[in-house]
Amino acid sequence: MRRGLLAAALGVVILIGTGTLACRSRPPGDAGSAAASALASPSSAPPAASVPVADGGLPAPDADVPPVRLTIPAIRVAARVDPVAVDPATNDFAVPPSVDVVGWYRYGPGLSAPAGSVVIAGHVDGAAQGPGAFFRLRDLAIGAEIEVTGADGRVVRYTVAAREIYRKTAIPLDRYFARDGAPRLTLITCGGPFDRATGHYRDNVVITAAR
Amino acid sequence: MRLLVRAVAATGLALLAAGAGLAVAAPAHAANAKVSVVHGIPGTPVDVYVNGTRTLQNFQPKQVAGPLDLPPGQYDIALTAPGQPVGSAILTVNDATVPDGANISLVAHLDASGQPKLTAFVNDTSKVAAGKARLIVRHTAAAPAVDVRAGGQPVFRNLTNPNEAKADVAAGTVSADVVLAGTSTVALGPTSLNLREGTATIVYAIGSAEQKSLDVVAQTITGLHSAPGGVPSGTGGLADTRPGGWLYAALALGAVLALGGALHAARTARATR
Repeated sequence: MRRGLLAAALGVVILIGTGTLACRSRPPGDAGSAAASALASPSSAPPAASVPVADGGLPAPDADVPPVRLTIPAIRVAARVDPVAVDPATNDFAVPPSVDVVGWYRYGPGLSAPAGSVVIAGHVDGAAQGPGAFFRLRDLAIGAEIEVTGADGRVVRYTVAAREIYRKTAIPLDRYFARDGAPRLTLITCGGPFDRATGHYRDNVVITAAR
Repeated sequence: MRLLVRAVAATGLALLAAGAGLAVAAPAHAANAKVSVVHGIPGTPVDVYVNGTRTLQNFQPKQVAGPLDLPPGQYDIALTAPGQPVGSAILTVNDATVPDGANISLVAHLDASGQPKLTAFVNDTSKVAAGKARLIVRHTAAAPAVDVRAGGQPVFRNLTNPNEAKADVAAGTVSADVVLAGTSTVALGPTSLNLREGTATIVYAIGSAEQKSLDVVAQTITGLHSAPGGVPSGTGGLADTRPGGWLYAALALGAVLALGGALHAARTARATR
């Protein structure tokens, strides 16, 4: 009888322990969403006093400063940043194939832009390559420091203002790829439940950081 | 005077056409129109009057003014030599229709025969896909029909004054030139054209072929960009946030132990009684 009671007690302990662990290990959810929308809202420009007149020369090439290095001490990220564009086949953000390298959306603002969202996306992991540069992005807390180094050597410091998780089907990408609003940094990776059949995650994890 | 009347009629029609084209897309409430003014007549600085008020002073050829925020309605537009009263206008347009919420470029230019003229173009400000730029070419020069080439290949054919051709193309730099239609006789260029993603670059061919004053003026409209379709950034499943298999295994083990242990205890308790 004692053996039976012992086994039953052990079973109950395992049930409680597992339950507690499962609850504790639940991934962190959204934080600071209001701050993220505030940063994204464009400030209304005062009406121009006189009519602006410009020289009708041909548009000059871009002179923005591309980011080349991203450092996030809190989650031990120190990654190279490559300029990337859009995958012409899918119209998706062309995240660098190496999971150790993250990609800057070169059509959007760079480090010298006076407004808008500098977007850097990276892999959370890869089927063959294992954990990626943004494996722990989801653990990043509000207030954490981020450093971005530009191609001209400048270092721009950001502070995490929001962490949001969206289903990929519902993420407001226009807001994160906006070229107006406060100058800010947006980091994007994958997260949420993983579908082994398609090889894709359900969600995107988005970090918004203010200058 | 005959010139003036003709200019008035032509521009009035162009503006009306612009209005008709936009009637469907315009919202129900009145939204201000954005009106830019483009100077494409070489060697002729002007003052621009809108409804009798001098709005632009000493406006130089190859300059682009605006956009002006104008409530929709009828406008009288006049161009004078700098400092001259509105009564001695070089070009006038009366009761030009500025449609609700439209984006318009009003271009002072030469017609095909070299006479000054005002033409209103409606600018396509619809969004472009991620990675694309919109190229709009407007023939506003005293010159015959032309082809526009990019990288040596014709992209727009047989463009005539005062018409436009447009396309959404991959953003980036292209080498562009303008040739007489159907020939390889270069009229303008080649020039390196930087087409910024998410913008519309409007290139006006201006001046006169006869007077060897052909040139280009450019106007850029920004903010037409779209976001990429998505950000696929994980294929490993290592960061899967669903409860893992270990959880179910542990729960099952716990349940089996608890139930089995209790049953066993009950049975042995009954046996020993």
